[in-house]
Amino acid sequence: MKRNRKIGLICSPGGHLVEVLQLIEAFEDASFFFLTYREKATLNRKNTYYVSNFAKNPLSLVMGILKILYLFLKERPGVLFSTGAEIAIPSFYIGKFLFRTKLIYLECSAQVYSPSWTGRWVYPITDLFLVQWEPLLRQYGSRAKYVGGLI
Amino acid sequence: MIFVTVGNDFRSFDRLLKKMDEIAPFIPSEILIQTGYSRYVPQNTKHVDFISMDIAIEYIRKSELVVSHAGIGTIILCKEYRIPILILPRRKAMEEHMNDHQLEIAQVLEKKESEDIHVLYEENQLKENILRILKEGASDPSQKVAGKTNLIKTIRDFIKTTRS
Repeated sequence: MKRNRKIGLICSPGGHLVEVLQLIEAFEDASFFFLTYREKATLNRKNTYYVSNFAKNPLSLVMGILKILYLFLKERPGVLFSTGAEIAIPSFYIGKFLFRTKLIYLECSAQVYSPSWTGRWVYPITDLFLVQWEPLLRQYGSRAKYVGGLI
Repeated sequence: MIFVTVGNDFRSFDRLLKKMDEIAPFIPSEILIQTGYSRYVPQNTKHVDFISMDIAIEYIRKSELVVSHAGIGTIILCKEYRIPILILPRRKAMEEHMNDHQLEIAQVLEKKESEDIHVLYEENQLKENILRILKEGASDPSQKVAGKTNLIKTIRDFIKTTRS
């Protein structure tokens, strides 16, 4: 048996965070931490690390990548879970290729008929890929799964 | 109270704010608007730019009605706490969003005919619809969402396999 490694929960503020919190029961057997953008909507949360919003400028992406590297070295997550948005992309690639982390991605319920940009980026490397609307299955490959949605 | 929210998108949603401000004197409930990055400043209602998730949940639970952009966070929270919600999707053509996903969500929800989710496409119909929903109140408690239970189980089972 491997020891129980931590779970990293990665998401943008707003609906993405609401979705992670809806599913928090799934992670409660292990210890977990959050990684999100530093915004007024996310301030002062427990077990939470912050990066600046990547969308705001390219430098914040570089700083964000360094922060994620440091964070993963410190926390050594065994599993990453994300509902998007683009904050998941560097986190998943760093997790997969530098830390051999297992990856779970849940396409946000805002995506009904077409894949999100983030979903397309992380689909090839994700171990469990879930969508919340059935029509989306056809847009992804055979590894995408639908078991229900939050809305 | 009526809680109006436009979320964290960096684009303005002045169309909803202006109309809510305009009709506020005709609505018999106190109105609080979360304005986000919108430029318009309401004159007739209380307002706040951003709030934490915990405070947002507190406001939603206290509300008799939530009026919102078609953001899934607010929709999910209203569903969980059984608060009626009236949604007006942000539109790409009016530079309110990067794409028309909010329109897709609104149309799918309209088709589902959930009793506590009300969908509008024209801000001009806000007043009559708000007054109607306030009069009707919330419907009977809806059934538990199977989707949430299934997602939790699927994710939990997968995490277990990574440990064996």
